[in-house]
Amino acid sequence: MIDLKKIIKDIDKLEPIPQAVQKVLSIVNNPDSSISELTDVVQYEPSLTANLLKICNSPYTGLTREVDSVHRAVALLGMNQVGDLILLAGASKKLSKAQKGYDLKPGELWKYSVSSALLSRELAKRVGKVDEHFVFTAALLKDMGKLILSQYVADSFEKINQLVTAEGFSFREAEKKVIGIDHAELGGMVMEKWKFSKKMVSIVRNHHLSDETYDPETYVIYLGDILCMMMGIGVGADGLAYRFYKDVLTDLKISEKDIQGIMADFGVKIKEVESLYSLS
Amino acid sequence: MNIVVGVSDMQVSNDPKAAIITYSLGSCIGLTIYDKVARVGGIAHYMLPDSTIDTAKANENPYMFANTSIPLLFKTAYKLGAKKQRLRVLLVGGSKIMDQNGFFNIGNRNYMAARKMLWKNNVVVDYENVGGSVNRTIKLFVKSGQIKLKVSGGSEFEI
Repeated sequence: MIDLKKIIKDIDKLEPIPQAVQKVLSIVNNPDSSISELTDVVQYEPSLTANLLKICNSPYTGLTREVDSVHRAVALLGMNQVGDLILLAGASKKLSKAQKGYDLKPGELWKYSVSSALLSRELAKRVGKVDEHFVFTAALLKDMGKLILSQYVADSFEKINQLVTAEGFSFREAEKKVIGIDHAELGGMVMEKWKFSKKMVSIVRNHHLSDETYDPETYVIYLGDILCMMMGIGVGADGLAYRFYKDVLTDLKISEKDIQGIMADFGVKIKEVESLYSLS
Repeated sequence: MNIVVGVSDMQVSNDPKAAIITYSLGSCIGLTIYDKVARVGGIAHYMLPDSTIDTAKANENPYMFANTSIPLLFKTAYKLGAKKQRLRVLLVGGSKIMDQNGFFNIGNRNYMAARKMLWKNNVVVDYENVGGSVNRTIKLFVKSGQIKLKVSGGSEFEI
C-alpha cells in the first residue's frame, strides 16, 4: 500500500512559485491596483524582468515595437496580460522537466499547460462573465500535482493502465484507485500549500470535474484541457483517457462548430507557443 | 535526421538519411504514405475534417484540414517520383475523449473524412490504428520504409 502521508509530504519538496510572482498575481487580481505597484515589484527582480521582456519581444505577442521596460510592457499589453506572462515566466522552469510516470519528455508538460491556459483564456473571452486572467492562471497551474504524482504513477503504471484499458476507468479514476490520490486532488493541495485562493484550490482539484458542482470558470478550464488533449499537445501516457461531459458545452453555450473554430484558431498559434518554449 | 511533422503540418521526403516523425496524435489523423520503389514517404498531420468551417484558415494553413491536406500530401509525393499504385497507405490517430460520442467525436470525423476521400480516389488503406482514448506517435524511415508506431501506455512496435 502506498503511503499517502509520504506523497503529501512531497509537496514540501516542490519549490514554490517565486514570491515575487505571487505578489504580481495578487496585484493583477486586484482591480484597484496601479501600474506602478506592479512595476515596483517586478523591476527589483532582474530574472523576472529579463524573462518578461524576452517574451514580450518574441513573435508570440506580435508586438512590432521593442519592449525595453516593464512599464512599456504594461502600456502595450495591459496589466492582465503582463501578469499572465510573468506567471508564465515564473512557472516555466518547474513545468519544463520530464515527467516519467506520464511519459512526458522535457518541455511537454510546459507545452500542455501553456496551451491549455491560452485555450481557456480564449474560451473565457467567448463565454463572457468569466475572469480571463484567473482562468489563465488556474489552467497553467492545474497539473502541478503531476510533478509529484509522476513518480508514483511510474511505479504503479501497469495497474493503472490495466484499469484504464480493461475496466473503463479514466486515468484520474485509476490513479485514485491504485495510488489513493489523483493528480487533480494533489494539485489542489499544492495550491493550498502555496496559499492560493480557495477558489483556485477548488478549481485545480476539480479540473476533470470529479465532483459535480457547477462553476463556469471550472467548466472553461475543463474544456480548454479537453481541447488540448484532442489536439495532442504535450499529451502523455494518460492519453485522452478522461471523461467528456457534453452538458458543459450546453451550459457554456458553445457549439461543436465553435469548438472547431477555436481549434482552427489555435492551430495557427501552436508554432508561436513553441517559440516561447525556446525562450524559457 | 528527424523531420518533425507538427500539428497541422505535412512533410514529404526522399532523403535516405531522414526519418519523418509525428508526435502525439490525439483526435488528429496522421496519414502516412510510402513508395518503396521511389523511396519517397510523407506524413500529413491534420486536425479537423473539413475546411468549409473556415476557408481563410485553410488558405493560411491547408495542412490543418483533411480535405485540403490530403491532396497536397499525395501531390507532393508524386512530384518526388512516387506512384499511386505503389503506395503503402496508413491511417493513425482519430482518438476521442472517453464518452465523447456523436457530433463531438471529432477524431472519428477526421478518420471518416480520410476514408471517404481515399475511397473516392481509389486509394487502398493498408493499415489502420485508430480510435480509442490513446495518443499515438508514428515514425517513418525514408530509406527502408520501416514504420514504427507508439501508442500511449505501450511500447513502440513496427508495422
